[in-house]
Amino acid sequence: MSSGDRIRGAFIGLAIGDAAGWPSARHRSRLLAPWSRRLERELDGFAEEHRVTTLPVPFSLNQPVEPLAIGPSDDAEWLAWTALTIRDDRAEAFGRLAGRSDLRVRISVRSALDNLAAGKLPPASGHDNPHFFDDAAAVRAVAFGAIGADPRADASVTNAGDGVHAAVAMAAAVAKLVAGGPMTSAVEAALAELPEDTAIGHATRTALAVAREAGDPFAAVPALDAALLDHVYSYGVAAAQTVAVALALAEVSGGALSAAVPAAACLPSLADSAPALTGALTGAFTGYQAIPEGWRAAARTLTGCGLPDLAGTDLIDIAGGLV
Amino acid sequence: MKPTRARGCLLGLAAGDALGRPAENLPPEEIARRWGRLTEIEPGKGGTDDTEYTIFASSLLCRYGAAMTSADVAREYREQIIPMIDGPMRGAGFSELGAVQALRRGIDPPLSGLWHQHGWSDGLAMRAAPYGIFAAGDPGEAARLVAVDGVVSNSGEGVYGGQAVAAAVAVAMTGALPGEVVEAGIAAVPGDSWTSRNLRAAVAAVAAGSVEELYEAVVVRHYPWTDLAPEAVALAFAGYLMGAGEVEESVVSAANLGRDADTTAAIAGALAGAGRGEAAVPERWAREIGPVTGRCLPAVAGRHILDAATELVAASPSWKSA
Repeated sequence: MSSGDRIRGAFIGLAIGDAAGWPSARHRSRLLAPWSRRLERELDGFAEEHRVTTLPVPFSLNQPVEPLAIGPSDDAEWLAWTALTIRDDRAEAFGRLAGRSDLRVRISVRSALDNLAAGKLPPASGHDNPHFFDDAAAVRAVAFGAIGADPRADASVTNAGDGVHAAVAMAAAVAKLVAGGPMTSAVEAALAELPEDTAIGHATRTALAVAREAGDPFAAVPALDAALLDHVYSYGVAAAQTVAVALALAEVSGGALSAAVPAAACLPSLADSAPALTGALTGAFTGYQAIPEGWRAAARTLTGCGLPDLAGTDLIDIAGGLV
Repeated sequence: MKPTRARGCLLGLAAGDALGRPAENLPPEEIARRWGRLTEIEPGKGGTDDTEYTIFASSLLCRYGAAMTSADVAREYREQIIPMIDGPMRGAGFSELGAVQALRRGIDPPLSGLWHQHGWSDGLAMRAAPYGIFAAGDPGEAARLVAVDGVVSNSGEGVYGGQAVAAAVAVAMTGALPGEVVEAGIAAVPGDSWTSRNLRAAVAAVAAGSVEELYEAVVVRHYPWTDLAPEAVALAFAGYLMGAGEVEESVVSAANLGRDADTTAAIAGALAGAGRGEAAVPERWAREIGPVTGRCLPAVAGRHILDAATELVAASPSWKSA
């Protein structure tokens, strides 16, 4: 297997995980008219008011149905954007996005873009940021890992602390896998970048311990929930949780995407990005050719639900630009 | 130093907490629409977690004094707070519940303040005033002590927010001018921190007389929660400066800036009350401050903020030597 096949594997694996998590349909429904999403919110209120457990799902009354088919969303688009701009100065690349009103981005990225627009440069743009700890940079780091480059300058535009540690760890693991290393060595390389006295360092070691104890990815799901999640905060994008889960499931699956990604998707509060990160690691391990054709076909075309410029682009072509 | 400053500090805090309470999470335009200018405490409603956690922090200082360790604080959480949480935890912020969940699973400080995602919350800043009273005149000691408590529930900017408030109160307790008080708060935190950048921006915006500039500089627009310490502490200090250190005007200015209004008005009230003393707290407000109900922290039910202030003075070594 070539390193190019592993790079394509990392990209399609991330997109498959992105598609597998339930939030993907929410993100993709951004392509429908706003009134259609408003109706969904009203149906949520209807379920509450009428005490019915039949919950609304994204739907398309008088709207195109294609966006609601299974497929990639925000994480795959950010990976593509990173690959396309990877040779550019990072603050400059993000600076081109600052001030645009047609993007849909995470809280960390929105805060960073606001900081850049106000003249606050990295690393303050990622540090003076309510979600400095999220995994936005860890997703982008898959592209840096693919070419064996340091993701710090990119990560510190939008993140700090655990958010940057997570990016460095993801890039280290992906680089190891793209070079043909076994999953255990990739996890070791990631751990070496995660200091024990940080939340992400502690959580990743805890996640690995409980997953090893459980013995396989699906069996590990309740133990990971119990060990890592406090269910206190309103958002589930903390790198200390999603990257920890991804590394633990990638290792305990022995690198098997079709076992690890569905397990990650079973943790609902982390389902926006943990499956994507898990898919990137296991996809880099198995390589593109070993991934089921149905999933490859479903996950490769971007819709532009977050970054409209990418609508209709092919993620695997974009990955090929790094080979 | 006079005990009236200690009582003024904590009474000002409780009054700000109670006055700002109905304005919490509202933008200034909505406050103006509802009240014109919010200047009165809703009768009979009392304060919130700010007052109750401040009483709890005072009791820690009375028990352990300057030798207090984070392990002592964690033990007090485990003995005083956690067993009395019956069902949901009421009236606390993300950082307190996050820390309680961490402590429940055996995680100790400082990891207990890091393990959850809300280390940056203003949960320490809201209870930091007693450390400034205890170490009156010694902002470095106030900042050191408040961090001993702070790392149990907070990390990073959340600890810095508490340090800025504690150090500023320690200097306000000497009767220093508001500008000096704010500078002491800024000096207590690293220059390369969000808290420092926001506090300096707040000073500049108040000097320019611009609430819009203040909002532009310190309020995170695309984030739904208002309890970020760098934002809340900056708005609180801005309110205190806008009120020129007078208790009523400082509290009202902070509360009418909105966002985490109970906490920002409480901090502004603590700074101004420390500077002006108990008699400077409007009597119509003082009448509304009774013993706390323990709604947020059952361990302190029935205690009065002014008794906490008096006990704190008695326990403080800097006061004994003065």
